[in-house]
Amino acid sequence: MAILLIFLIQIVYATIGTVLVRITENTNDQELTDYDAIEEKWQEDANHLQNISRVQIHQHFIKWKQQYPKASMFWVDESGFLAEQVGVHDDLPSEWSSTFTAKFIKKRYGGDPFTVITFIGKNEMNGFIVLEIPRSTFQPPLQKIYSHYGDILLIVVVLTIFLFITISFLFFRGIRKRLLQLQEAMMLRDVDSLPLQIDVKKNDEIGQLEETFNQMVCELRESKQREREEEKLRRELIANLSHDLRTPLTKMSAQTYSIAKGNITQETKQAINILETSILDIDRLIENLMSYTLLMASKYKIERKEIDIVRYVRECLASWYPAFEKQEFEIEVELYPLENNKWLVDPVWLGRIIDNLLQNVIRHARSGQYIKVKTESADRYEAFVIIDRGKGMKNASNEKGAGIGLSIVDMMVKGMELEWDIESSEHGTIIKIKKYK
Amino acid sequence: MFHVLYIEDESDIGSWVTKDLTERGYNVTWLKSGEDVDKYISNVDIVILDVMLPGLDGFSIGKRIKNKKGNLPVLMLSARTTVEDKIEGLSFADDYLTKPFHPDEMVARVEVLLRRFQKNDEILELSHLGIYTKDMKVVNNNTGGEIQLTGKQYYLFQYFIRHLNQILTKEQLYEGVWGETYIEGDKTLMVHIRFLREKIEENPAKPTIIETIRGIGYRVKA
Repeated sequence: MAILLIFLIQIVYATIGTVLVRITENTNDQELTDYDAIEEKWQEDANHLQNISRVQIHQHFIKWKQQYPKASMFWVDESGFLAEQVGVHDDLPSEWSSTFTAKFIKKRYGGDPFTVITFIGKNEMNGFIVLEIPRSTFQPPLQKIYSHYGDILLIVVVLTIFLFITISFLFFRGIRKRLLQLQEAMMLRDVDSLPLQIDVKKNDEIGQLEETFNQMVCELRESKQREREEEKLRRELIANLSHDLRTPLTKMSAQTYSIAKGNITQETKQAINILETSILDIDRLIENLMSYTLLMASKYKIERKEIDIVRYVRECLASWYPAFEKQEFEIEVELYPLENNKWLVDPVWLGRIIDNLLQNVIRHARSGQYIKVKTESADRYEAFVIIDRGKGMKNASNEKGAGIGLSIVDMMVKGMELEWDIESSEHGTIIKIKKYK
Repeated sequence: MFHVLYIEDESDIGSWVTKDLTERGYNVTWLKSGEDVDKYISNVDIVILDVMLPGLDGFSIGKRIKNKKGNLPVLMLSARTTVEDKIEGLSFADDYLTKPFHPDEMVARVEVLLRRFQKNDEILELSHLGIYTKDMKVVNNNTGGEIQLTGKQYYLFQYFIRHLNQILTKEQLYEGVWGETYIEGDKTLMVHIRFLREKIEENPAKPTIIETIRGIGYRVKA
């Protein structure tokens, strides 16, 4: 539509142009506008004059006057008298001295009006005739047209410009609106945080742009879908693997349990205890290995939300309390409200971190018989702290299982934009999970 | 005698669990697949369900059971330990136990579920108290008299009995009994626990039934 209007304007301009050219051409046909041509013709006509008389000169003048209505002509005869004049407005002297003649020639040379002075006939015996045409007659054709059709032209041009501005305004406003809409549509996100397809209404350039965008969205979705399937496959694989490994473990555990129920010696009892512990160790290692693999491939789902950290830690502790109680640990809990209790974390991840740390305390710091969990507020951070009195990281592990568990803690802590540090000596270990302010 | 419906395709584990539960006094029906679970659910008290089954998987069977009989407790049993599995399982099931497990733990969970669904018409003996779990009648065995618990005390004590042996935080108790979000510093719960102790404890200054776990919360241990 807009483009059509622009075409229309172009056509209007073209029409004006054509009309102007046509008018100019017409004018050229009617009048000789070339100075040289006029001068030549004047001289030629003068040369051809014979039987010089006032009447004949007069007729000659009238003939020219008809062709150039604005021209004026006069004749100065051989004795220097002004013999004939047509259309002369200035006061001319009746008698032309040679001085005046020279002055006249000098004055008119290249001046206005355009003046041609020529002798009559083939010799100079008949005096000279003078043709004066105001230079304004020779205005360029456009100027002349302007003076003729000026008003109409002005109106047409103004109207056209106005029309042009209006149409341009409408056109660009339309384009701008559509571009803005397009931008808005591009910003829209689906529930899966992918952009939405755009409704293509017009099949112009912007429409094509929208089409291309839709195509991109489509491809993006496909690739996301592929990624999701891959992720699911991997998760599935690991889950199945974990299942397949655990089933024989469960059987082993069942058998040891059955044996333990029978009449057994102290020695067998000890052996069974070791077996049971080993089964649980393997189970834990499988679990950690699975998590580690998923974490390494960034396939471990994270969903962070604001939770009350103090409350969460307390609930974790509540579920671990019986385990510590059973091992006859001294348990100290000092959880007080922090300046900001809300931490943006994934509760599952955080639970995993706490589980791993507390499990390590039970497994590797059992000798200390002590655990303390407290909150800590410092100038730059707030933290919860787990303290034990075990033999420390370096000395504790006759079992090396702690390593992978701590790697998982490390990855998860960093994954949730928290910090942590460990201080470990032979008198115990202090672990702080910190959130900087 | 409680009737347990146990669905497990692994024969070694299946026979072991069946044997153990039978020895503990449960009446066990063991199925190797969940295809005709519908026939049994009308006269069982609890379902123990393995997740990985041939044909219909445990999740689908569990959902089917819950649709047909919402008040039948379902304990999921699985060697799949991913969080997603647990979440999916717990979206309908009442508890989720991962393999390998100790039979004691399984039985403990079964008992908790039976109590929660009030299938258990037992008389719980807690020091000098006799508690009829189904209608929450509390009797002082020393005097033989019934202890009358008023409104919130009743619900509070019931909440403890349903979560026997579990440590409950202030928040959990408040939200479980009052149904509102706990606000830090609110003394309502402490006041009610003091009243409750005055009624049920032999010596409220040295409580033995409702145990205070310092820094964490409270616990009623069987």
